[in-house]
Amino acid sequence: MTATLEHALPFPEAGSAADAAFIGIGELPSGRFADRTFMGALVEVSARAIIDAGLRPRDIDTILLIPCLHGGRDQADLIFSRLVEELGLNGRAKSSMMIHSGGSTSDSATRVAAGLIASGQAHNVLIAQADRWGSAPVTDMVDMLSGFGIPREWEVPAGVTFNAVGGLITRRYMHASGSTPEEMASICVALRDWARLNPNAMFKDKELTVERVLASKMVADPVHAMECPMLADGAVALVMTSATQARRSKDAWVRIAGSGGTVSHYSLGQEADLAVMNWPRAGVEAYEQAGWGPEEVDVAQVYDSYAAVVAQGLEGLGLAPFGEAARQFAAGRFSPGGELPTNTNGGLLSAGHTGVGGGTALLAEGVRQLLGRAEGARQVDGAARAVIGGTGGTYMDSQVMLLERVTR
Amino acid sequence: MTSEPIMHDLTVDYYASLADGRLSVQQCGDCDHRIMYPRYRCTECFSSNLGWVDDTGEGTLHSFTIQRIGAPTEFGADGPYAVGIVKLDSGPQMLGRLWPGEDGTWDHYACDGRVVFRPADADEIAEHPAAWFATVSS
Repeated sequence: MTATLEHALPFPEAGSAADAAFIGIGELPSGRFADRTFMGALVEVSARAIIDAGLRPRDIDTILLIPCLHGGRDQADLIFSRLVEELGLNGRAKSSMMIHSGGSTSDSATRVAAGLIASGQAHNVLIAQADRWGSAPVTDMVDMLSGFGIPREWEVPAGVTFNAVGGLITRRYMHASGSTPEEMASICVALRDWARLNPNAMFKDKELTVERVLASKMVADPVHAMECPMLADGAVALVMTSATQARRSKDAWVRIAGSGGTVSHYSLGQEADLAVMNWPRAGVEAYEQAGWGPEEVDVAQVYDSYAAVVAQGLEGLGLAPFGEAARQFAAGRFSPGGELPTNTNGGLLSAGHTGVGGGTALLAEGVRQLLGRAEGARQVDGAARAVIGGTGGTYMDSQVMLLERVTR
Repeated sequence: MTSEPIMHDLTVDYYASLADGRLSVQQCGDCDHRIMYPRYRCTECFSSNLGWVDDTGEGTLHSFTIQRIGAPTEFGADGPYAVGIVKLDSGPQMLGRLWPGEDGTWDHYACDGRVVFRPADADEIAEHPAAWFATVSS
């Protein structure tokens, strides 16, 4: 690991001109909103994030777009700079581009933004996402997810679906950890308890119990229907700038203390260990850069399209002993009031799976927590350090961003 | 979305072996590394000198699941079916289908259990060219 970093430039010093800062966030509620247009939602969250950053639209010189999955035409609009025009930035914006690594796109986009800022190639970057995944025809989305990220020649003929991918990972995780169905279901319940504190969550009004989860239909053994993420509409935006600019306009902001990642496969059939993936390796690099460790983390936001995915993420990032995350969820360690608040927006499983935006929403929630701006009981007292864990495709990569709160 | 067999230089030989009841895996002519799924260059030594060998199809089951609800359109009429990831004794690992037992279930499968390639007939392979595995005793 160190060998690969030797030739790299040092990670930016805290507060230096090269240090990237999150200074604004905007979000719309997740769920099913048939009347909410795609572009309307995208412009609204962009405006909210820019105003929140204390900037004007014309201050944005670079737009990094998170892809949408609900339709090719809207995707093409993103690629071909429609948001620039919608925001009145014709002739002002330097560049508008899409970054795409599936569910880990927010990690990828954040790294690109930080790199552009550190090298003086961008000043104020808008990262924007919107999707109408919840309003799109379910059959089309299922067929799409059974063909994307799964090799057409070698694995699609076996009939793999996205929930089957969840089933394969969950089965191996339960085998390796000895976790019970009740313990796995308790992860969904803990996330629902968080969602009930989040006004933007799809399932903010619906209580959940372990019994109800386990009574729901089996979809892809051992995953039950209520352990599958619900496709949702959603929109999130963030504004990033340099620490120098942040100091001018804000009293508090959030910096990237470290980042790490590993791409471990393209097809799930090539993953060496479905119970672990590559989280441990990704975490080592990030913690080395940050100079702080898992025991100093105040809040965690780790990708959770299935319960086993967040369990193995927490374990690999040193936030739970190997094989113990599900049991610790059942014991309340990651729930509201628990020792390590995790996925405090309700995660993909209970805030809603907004396509590529699920990870973006977790990132925005991490920034929000560190700014002390989560609503009511959801706010973690004194949150200063956060772990963001992302993964895309069939959990092809393990990406980590370590964030910390900075005050002027 | 369709899984109509995609024919190109790598799939032709592989699909033909499946239709013939054999599991052939790729092998590097320079370093003997066995590779699945088939690639354009050896993932070990980067050679393009790649060929095929018949594999015994014996291995251990890393994980498996039974797809019950929400199958892709073209598999929708199949009823429940099982897919699993097999680590072949010869080195490579691959994803395939699992035969049900006589009782119509997959209850006799377990993570790390022994499995072996047991081919589907040529008609099935023509439609869905996948490798099928069964437990060693069944």
